[in-house]
Amino acid sequence: MITSRRILGLAALAALLPGFALAQQTQAPPAWAQGRPPEMANSRLAPHPPRLTVTPPERVPVASLRLPEGFQAELWAHGLPGARVMVRGPGGTIFVGTRVIGRVYAVRDTGSERQVSILLQGLTQPSGLAIRDGALYVAAINRILRIDNVEQNLANPQPVELTAAFGLPEDVHHGWKHIQFGPDGRLYVPVGVPCNICETDGERYALIASFNPDGSDRRIEARGVRNSVGFDFHPRTGQLWFTNHGRDWAGNDNPSDTLHVNLRRGEHHGFPWCAGGFQDPAVPRDRLCSEFPPPALILGPHVAPIGTHFYTGTAFPERYRNALFIANRGSWNRERLSGFNVVVVREVEGGRLIQEEFLSGLRDDANQRFLGRPAGLLTMPDGALLVSDEENGAIYRITYRGR
Amino acid sequence: MAARIVLAAALLAAAFSFPAAANPAAEALIAERQCVACHGPAGVSAVPLTPSLAGQQADFLALQMILFREGLRQVPAMAEPVRGLTDQQILDIAGWFAAQPSAPKPDRGPRDEALARRGAELSAARNCNACHLTDYAGRANVPRINHQREDYLVHSLTQYRDNLRVGADTQMNGLMHGLSNADIRAIAHYLAHRD
Repeated sequence: MITSRRILGLAALAALLPGFALAQQTQAPPAWAQGRPPEMANSRLAPHPPRLTVTPPERVPVASLRLPEGFQAELWAHGLPGARVMVRGPGGTIFVGTRVIGRVYAVRDTGSERQVSILLQGLTQPSGLAIRDGALYVAAINRILRIDNVEQNLANPQPVELTAAFGLPEDVHHGWKHIQFGPDGRLYVPVGVPCNICETDGERYALIASFNPDGSDRRIEARGVRNSVGFDFHPRTGQLWFTNHGRDWAGNDNPSDTLHVNLRRGEHHGFPWCAGGFQDPAVPRDRLCSEFPPPALILGPHVAPIGTHFYTGTAFPERYRNALFIANRGSWNRERLSGFNVVVVREVEGGRLIQEEFLSGLRDDANQRFLGRPAGLLTMPDGALLVSDEENGAIYRITYRGR
Repeated sequence: MAARIVLAAALLAAAFSFPAAANPAAEALIAERQCVACHGPAGVSAVPLTPSLAGQQADFLALQMILFREGLRQVPAMAEPVRGLTDQQILDIAGWFAAQPSAPKPDRGPRDEALARRGAELSAARNCNACHLTDYAGRANVPRINHQREDYLVHSLTQYRDNLRVGADTQMNGLMHGLSNADIRAIAHYLAHRD
């Protein structure tokens, strides 16, 4: 899949690791070394370990959450280690996807409490969930499943295998997905790059595609997208708005993660040459940033946007209606932590977009540690906003009470 | 009142000879699940291809037990021992093994200088110590890889290279890509013979 010709930065790697590079010229360098400059060779930065055990409710940091005036947060559900994306079935069940722990949870609200059960387990990073006509679609790294009438079959789900019909790559690296149905009734599925920085087949990787719900009629919607794990469709225009993760090992402040609006089908957004206006020095300058549409908004370096969700309720004040909320899971490849918050992106005069911090308190700057990792976002029928916390296996409910 | 509780606790401790940081629940569980039958008393393994767990990182041990329990990492010998364990039981077991003293394996055999030097070079070239740290004691979900059985290191590294095993991410699979069996034997020998 990756040939030596396609590996970028091999010359730099050879300078950095002479013994290794001479012996392994035909091999792909591992992700940790791709695009890593010599001055960062001894960096101790590494991905944070996932917490896969239940966090007792008294240790979920709901009291640390900070919100704009008039908003409040409560602990809505707990005991879901690894909780990320959330979707709601027509009968009110909230389904929750995960990565490493391999589970899909079902949460039933009895009014006074939430009952959490494990719907599926043993999957390889089932981080993508979508609902259509009472069926739950599940995207794991190596499988696409559909469970018909899922809310009538919570105790005994019978998945239909759609894996072959979709025919997606099964690479683990950046193979975890967000999926969602568009206003056109098609299922949108991103395919990230199987590397940190590399040149890949741009018709197979680094893209967002759409399919008929049965996996037929694949169509590329966006190209040059390194790794998008969150997107939504604008409630009024139906346009695809997606977030994208910039690459690692290019420094503390480069490149930024970004928000894009896909204005034309098949549009190329810059990977591997350009990310958020950052012309990648590890990549030959075959194409320049000026050739690609600029991102709609620069989100910040390494903040790791996951949940990317238009608030469609009416319970929040006017300024938040149809505003885009983004859950930043937070950085690892940066000496000082960034992200670990939820921001809201609003349109101001002249159509310009700005972002404001909405939910904070999980990043402890003084001690350079974090208390939680926001991941999924969902508007509820009553206008409350659910926020999942992957680190604590918890779901917070945000409501507005007025000033 | 407080004094009486302290006294009672002291008597209890004396009666059962628990070390200071003992966790009776963990010890009972470890006895019930017969962990030490293979992993050795105090977690130093004398069984081929079975890892020592003494002084291993607690986060790493918990992660592996969860992967076993959920069927995501399949090792037949571990299927029964972890069956039905609760998260708290997993944390208790992990904490107990992590608290056992780690030391070089007593019967690790003679050191082959040339092999160890080759292993050191390979380890330096692949930056093992960026994550496992300079003494290879590991951190959080990055395991301790010194003081380990040499045969188990060979087995484990081979599994990563051949994509028969994954961790929380793909770092180890990418890292091992392209290494020969001889390379892996050299790295394992180097690590097992560090103090």
